[in-house]
Amino acid sequence: MGNCLQTSTSDDINLLRDSESSNTRDTSPEQLDPPPPYQEAVRPTVPVYHTAPNVTRPATQLTEEEQVRIAQRIGLIQHLPTGIYDGSKKNRECVICMYEFQYGDTVRFLPCMHTYHTHCIDDWLMRSFTCPSCMEPVDAALLTTYETN
Amino acid sequence: MTEAQSALLLRKQLAELKKNPSEGFSAGLIDDNDIYKWEVLIIGPPDTLYEGGFFKAHLYFPREYPLRPPKLKFISDIWHPNIEKNGDVCISILHEPGDDKYGYEKASERWLPIHTVETIMISVISMLADPNDESPANVDSAKEWREDYNGEFKRKVQMSVRKSQEEAWD
Repeated sequence: MGNCLQTSTSDDINLLRDSESSNTRDTSPEQLDPPPPYQEAVRPTVPVYHTAPNVTRPATQLTEEEQVRIAQRIGLIQHLPTGIYDGSKKNRECVICMYEFQYGDTVRFLPCMHTYHTHCIDDWLMRSFTCPSCMEPVDAALLTTYETN
Repeated sequence: MTEAQSALLLRKQLAELKKNPSEGFSAGLIDDNDIYKWEVLIIGPPDTLYEGGFFKAHLYFPREYPLRPPKLKFISDIWHPNIEKNGDVCISILHEPGDDKYGYEKASERWLPIHTVETIMISVISMLADPNDESPANVDSAKEWREDYNGEFKRKVQMSVRKSQEEAWD
């Protein structure tokens, strides 16, 4: 007794049965509880994060410290300007997916002025906060742009 | 990056390499139905001990490519300080950022999502020409490279070159 997790009604029925026929308790198969419902189905709805580039963890298994760090990172990424590709000739290709930008693509501008598709660069920035083209740490670059403005 | 995107990116590179083959290596798929497993034939760089060799290696891409790096394994026997005896290649650009158990690699030397089969092979060819003995994957080979370059090291490399030539003509 004293197990707080035993709240299902089937347990109560078992308790009743136990008192009625305690001598057959271990041998009667119909007293076995049904297996717990399959849990896998809920998994895809839990977002997955990378606490280190090679570590993939569902949001439900993050430590408080990791949650704070990930929240900060998401906040920083969302502060980076985005735009709609306007046909500018300076940036023609997203070097992550190797496709040319098309009019209307959502792009993100890093402080070093390198431009990528938002969905291509955001996934990378969650793993490593550096520009893939010039390897400049994005947080350091953000600080300098704030200071010079 | 979804699975479809990584497959698209790899197919694009394969088509590009077929159209404009690179100097120093040729690339194709191990199995035409699996875009994630590549076979490359690396030509031993000129003016190195590996000159004249044709080394076969396999590249295994994860579904998260290009956010995560592929693994590279030499199938041909090759004696080199940065290649394990089982063929696994240990170079920093194939290590994920933050994945630095030894603490000596700069983030800039590690994996970036702009690396392609071509840039990876360029790094590998430059590694063949210029081993990094600070982080040997094959300690015996690194020791010979440092202490007995013209003796035992040269002999073992030449043996792997000859063997790779014989296998290439099979």
